[in-house]
Amino acid sequence: MDVPSKSNKGWQDIVTGKKTYTLKFLAAKILLGRLTRSIKDNPSPDNVSSGVEQLHNLLAQNAHVPSVQEDLKTIFG
Amino acid sequence: MRQEILSIEDARRKIAEGRILLLAGDEDALRQLPKGNWLAGTIPYFISHERGGLVSRELVFATDITDIVADVAIAQYDQNTLARVYAEGPKHGFSFIVIPASSPTHLAFALNAPNYKSFGVRPLIGWIAGVHLDDLGKRTPKVFNGMTGDVVEDGALVLQAELPPNKLAEIGIINLFEQGDGDILTFNHDGFASKDVLVNGEKRDFAAYLLKNKLDTKLPLVADYYGVMVNISFQGIDEAEGTVKFYAPVFSGIRYKHAKPVADYVKTFQECLGKECGGDTDKVVFSCNCILNYLYSELEGKKTDPFIGPVTFGEIAYQLLNQTLVYLEVKDF
Repeated sequence: MDVPSKSNKGWQDIVTGKKTYTLKFLAAKILLGRLTRSIKDNPSPDNVSSGVEQLHNLLAQNAHVPSVQEDLKTIFG
Repeated sequence: MRQEILSIEDARRKIAEGRILLLAGDEDALRQLPKGNWLAGTIPYFISHERGGLVSRELVFATDITDIVADVAIAQYDQNTLARVYAEGPKHGFSFIVIPASSPTHLAFALNAPNYKSFGVRPLIGWIAGVHLDDLGKRTPKVFNGMTGDVVEDGALVLQAELPPNKLAEIGIINLFEQGDGDILTFNHDGFASKDVLVNGEKRDFAAYLLKNKLDTKLPLVADYYGVMVNISFQGIDEAEGTVKFYAPVFSGIRYKHAKPVADYVKTFQECLGKECGGDTDKVVFSCNCILNYLYSELEGKKTDPFIGPVTFGEIAYQLLNQTLVYLEVKDF
């Protein structure tokens, strides 16, 4: 599965904690543990945008990893 | 076999053969090794297939990665340059890092790694070097660059391993601990020590809280990072300073709970194995376990197959962890 663009609303939903998923890729889980906390404390558009950027970058650079491909399907269908 | 205990003589022979080795051993043992394709950290505690948990100042633990890697290089970082460690990892491979315990680089990595700009973009696994517990305060942990002969007391050595196109690296954690049912504990700052804690939002003296509630400090604080349980181990209560000290930093805003007790380490460990890696352990290239698990679960002489390796002062699976086992799998791709 291709990595959806950063403008896809799914990215915002996950980093803001609006939607939660059971993911497999360890680095994404650890990163989300920090991002969701940070964005809960500071839900400014800049902070949300920064969170989307970091998560998108992590998954895009690991898009060939099977657990990442499974996670992308879990998040974006 | 990829992981095994070696005599100095056997280690010398493998180095002479040009094998690519990740080594762990007491400083005096490592100093007897010639230059070659190896990286090492100091620690005299290991878990082996043959003898289970053991302590030895004469033997070294070797992980031979010669047959799975396409190319390797060793990079050195310090606390100011370590932020590049993820971005500079091989595009198709993994980075293996060893940092001396209590060095400024260890503290910087512990506090800052989760905030490095490229956190996690490349697999990073490794451990924190230590010393025999009898040597605490007398000798310092070190890391060795076998290619150059350099011995480093403050810094991080990273073996950057490029994999063949048909191989893929993945990192996993086995954590015996889960959050208990007690209070929610939070902190107002990041750090390795704290005088105060927020107990369900109410500010309290942390040492007094631990003592009053008779909490077993052998059990860590546990945070839930989007489904990953991350431990913060207690180093102890400094009564003179009135602070509670940890082996890894607590982070502000994270919700911690005291861990549930683990009655039978080996039994729980075997249960975790099945759950965490589906029993397919043939792909495990490297693993290491925490010295607190070794001590508190009395692992000397006990086997934890198929996960063996050095017993460490901290584990690294992307970031610093405590009281955890971390492992690297290399799978066909």
